[in-house]
Amino acid sequence: MPSQQPLASKEASLFRNVLKFYETKQYKKGLKAAEQILKKNPKHGETLAMKGLLINCQGKTEEAFQIAKEALKQDMKSHVCWHVYGLLYRSQKNFDEAIKAYKMALRFEPDSQQILRDLALLQIQMRDYNGYIESRRLMVMSKPQIRQNWTGLAIAYHLAGNLSEAENVLTKYEETLKQPPPKTDLENSEAILYKNYIIAETGDHQKALDHLEAIARTAVDKVAILEARAEYNLKLGNNEAAEKGYRVLLERNPEKRLYYSGLEKSLGVEGEDRLKIYEELAEQYPRADAPKRIPLDFQEGDAFKSVAQKYLDWRLKRAAPSTFTSLKALYGDVAKRECLESLVEEFLATTREEKPVENGEKLTNGSSTPNNSVLIYTLYYLSQHHDHWRIRNTEKALSYINEALELAPDNADQGELRLGLARILKHAGDVRKAMEEMDNARQKDKSDRYYNTKCSKYMLRNDCNEEAIKTMGLFTRNDVNGPLGDLLEMQCVWYITEDGESYVRQGKLGLALKRFHAVYKIFEDWTDDQFDFHSFSLRKGMIRAYIEMVRWEDSLWSHPFFRRAAVNAIKLYLLLNDKPHLAHGSLANGTGEDAVDFESLSTADRKKAMKKAKREAQKQEKAAAEAAAKAKDERKGGEEKKQDDDPLGAKLAQTTEPLEKALVWLKPLLEFSPAFLEGQTAGFDVYMKRRKYLLALKCLLAAHSIAPEDPVVHEQIIRFQLFLNSKPELSPTVQSIIDETFTLTPKESTLAQFNEAYLSSHADSARASFSVAKSRQVLAAAEGSKSDSEGTDSETLVFEALKKEGATLKDAVDGLALVKEMKGDVGRYVEEARQRWSMSNVFEVKA
Amino acid sequence: MDIVMLHPSHIPHVQTCNITNLPENYFAKYYLYHALTWPQLSYVAIDLSKSQNSPHDPPKIVGYVLAKMEEEPVDGIPHGHITSLSVMRTHRRLGLAEKLMRQSQKAMVETFGAKYVSLHVRVSNKAALRLYKDTLQFEVEKVESKYYADGEDAYSMKQDLGFIWDAVKKEDELLRKDDKSTTTPAEGEGNEDEGDPVGDEGQEDKKPKEVMRKVKIGRALGVSDLVEKVESPKASS
Repeated sequence: MPSQQPLASKEASLFRNVLKFYETKQYKKGLKAAEQILKKNPKHGETLAMKGLLINCQGKTEEAFQIAKEALKQDMKSHVCWHVYGLLYRSQKNFDEAIKAYKMALRFEPDSQQILRDLALLQIQMRDYNGYIESRRLMVMSKPQIRQNWTGLAIAYHLAGNLSEAENVLTKYEETLKQPPPKTDLENSEAILYKNYIIAETGDHQKALDHLEAIARTAVDKVAILEARAEYNLKLGNNEAAEKGYRVLLERNPEKRLYYSGLEKSLGVEGEDRLKIYEELAEQYPRADAPKRIPLDFQEGDAFKSVAQKYLDWRLKRAAPSTFTSLKALYGDVAKRECLESLVEEFLATTREEKPVENGEKLTNGSSTPNNSVLIYTLYYLSQHHDHWRIRNTEKALSYINEALELAPDNADQGELRLGLARILKHAGDVRKAMEEMDNARQKDKSDRYYNTKCSKYMLRNDCNEEAIKTMGLFTRNDVNGPLGDLLEMQCVWYITEDGESYVRQGKLGLALKRFHAVYKIFEDWTDDQFDFHSFSLRKGMIRAYIEMVRWEDSLWSHPFFRRAAVNAIKLYLLLNDKPHLAHGSLANGTGEDAVDFESLSTADRKKAMKKAKREAQKQEKAAAEAAAKAKDERKGGEEKKQDDDPLGAKLAQTTEPLEKALVWLKPLLEFSPAFLEGQTAGFDVYMKRRKYLLALKCLLAAHSIAPEDPVVHEQIIRFQLFLNSKPELSPTVQSIIDETFTLTPKESTLAQFNEAYLSSHADSARASFSVAKSRQVLAAAEGSKSDSEGTDSETLVFEALKKEGATLKDAVDGLALVKEMKGDVGRYVEEARQRWSMSNVFEVKA
Repeated sequence: MDIVMLHPSHIPHVQTCNITNLPENYFAKYYLYHALTWPQLSYVAIDLSKSQNSPHDPPKIVGYVLAKMEEEPVDGIPHGHITSLSVMRTHRRLGLAEKLMRQSQKAMVETFGAKYVSLHVRVSNKAALRLYKDTLQFEVEKVESKYYADGEDAYSMKQDLGFIWDAVKKEDELLRKDDKSTTTPAEGEGNEDEGDPVGDEGQEDKKPKEVMRKVKIGRALGVSDLVEKVESPKASS
């Protein structure tokens, strides 16, 4: 449809220039030309639209939208105006609005491939499968000679779950080919493999196998063909063929576990025979780890001892530092870990006696004799063994590692061993010395980023954030946004998260939130990353990989990296909801020390304290801004740094709607990780605070079905029942749903009895004690009779938890927070905790 | 240990492994670009010491090779390039780097017809240099001045993949022999064609261009094109 406002020929040619300038990213020139047209035709809609688009490219979004709206007002029936409107929304990532605008554009210009393509991309990004199928169908109809269009339509059907139609579309295109494409046609090779992948997904493995054999000579991805053939044969019970297939695959890659399990299944072996297979394969592939290691998983008793001995012999003689890591998975089995310990000790005894190995193994470290190396790494194994959390004998672990250190003159070995020493210290709770030792390791080889990384991590564990970033800065690109900027840009999630958690420990809530939000941003970026591949992958033709990517993106937000940041952020927002003053400067520092005082202050004193805190906060922010400006000066000539108007996260912490902010994290957590216990318990807390009782109950029931005996779940059950007991005003519908579904508390006994019963049935668990202690307090408060004796009872429980056999250092730290919350005897608690974790300094109250 | 092809879900962990070990880092999209353009060429080593409780547990990636085909080879010869390779210090001396590299190289030959593979290494990185030179048998081709962002020089290294072509040829012959004894003649015939890349090799330099055509489908677009691609509202199309 022609534009409603035809231009004179001179202007029409100028308009074409505007488009050209836009496409070649010459925005200034484009704007100039647009203005020229507008001088004569100030109400020309399409020119206005282009002006808006160009202005948006210069970062002036608001103005751009205004102009684009004006353009539409002038020319409602122009597809250009609507397309531009859609593009503006797209640039704002408001995809729903963008789709609407594109659809309008298409109404006025149904034949535009450009608009159709833009629309299709948004539809697949938003997973609007039906819309995508429709757009793709139109594209095939308009250009059926292009294979990409057919493949695109097949993808649309495939992702929508319509496998037969997806296959059908691919076949239809194949039928149009007069002669088969040459083997050098990679697009064809991938397209036929993609079709095979779809057939396999229908579950018809015979058909998939037949098809595979038909295409095997044309497709060039050999591994894919071999793997699919072996898998189909196995599923079809063609055991002989499957066996052959897996043997061929093992020949290619004897370190892929899937091939071994496939081979085992195809052979249907058990018992003695099972081991024999692995012995044969170990001989066949002497350098492979898997055939030697796998039997340790299924052998027991003496049979285990014999395979373990062989494996240890092989590994320890090579003096590789990773022997323990390779065996750690077996440590859940007491008999196996005891057997391993005695075998390694025997090996150590023999090694001590032996003269240096003649004709020793090829070792990379020059200065220590081979035998020395073997001895060192055998000692290293034993130190790791005793440091394992199921054993945790720090004294023994230290004595082995120290002996190893004395034997190791070589820097490389020293570094390796110091790393081990630091790890033991960290586990013992001596985070300060752990950091120092890790720094020692780093000094051994400053060119090794691994040491540098671990050193920074240990600095964060010791809450030395400044040192940590400085250390990271030795390897980051610092010319644009400084070390932290580089880490953010390179999406270094572990560092950002650890930094945030360290700030949580220090009560610097703003900075902590700032970091967790940076993690959120990374997940948004990872979501956006797929956008370009919707078109790129069709051009490249690697469809199977593309499908895998789309499916991964669909579950991206269930990633543990996200969960960890989310749980942290939600906890902080809940805290800020209860104690908003923590968002203010010094009141937020010192792990709530000031905060405890703050709550006992009079109103007038609170105001004073708040004022002071705000003054201090302003000072800090000013200093931060000055530091940033100074840093910028020092980087003269470098790229312009993006201004951060909230470097300390103060604005984040001072939110007036912390619960709404918590929801931003909670929703993806509940949607994508419904089986994640901590997500559900966090959900309960948030929804109770928001007075969304049914949603809270839903979380509680979900949490209960995940882990019915979990201490937090226990506590929440009591809290929910107490809430019901308080006779809240609920609508009849809500009330009846609750009556029907909430049956987790006993009818026969009181809540207090229920609480104590839980304690006696979980006598070994420190966390259970904490939960019961907290519940006792909540129950007492509800009764309005917080007598001293009950307070002491709860406190005693927390103290007793320290002595429980299963108590971990982390439990003890959590207990400390609880004692503080109860305003209990912190000094005595720390003293008692130190009796058990004598090396630990994590109980220290930080300034 | 498990050595498997790079899957998109591995990427955050490969990224962690990379930024833990090496000074050259990339955002996730660059890894995706590799995984979606040459999915056959990148591999990861996964430590299995934490028994996987659920399929959602993150894989512990302790080594990786991120590889590509050179999109527009200056010399006109199709060849692979190692973008990044590293193994966690805790997992050295297990031969992981070599195992990863071999998988990648084989796919370079089989799927993309690569004749050789190239890479860059910092002149100061003695450990890596030793790995590439001694263990993996790469040769220094030249020094590239100020290759790295911080101004350091790089060794440009190269390895001829002829030895893999030979191995592939032998395997194919074996397979063919095997198939004749067990499968139908039609399939046997089909397998004749599987030696195709080897056939090219047999004819030496005569047909480099034809082999090259194999890697060129669509437009050869790099990640920068990918990032900057913008639509334009053409008035007429």
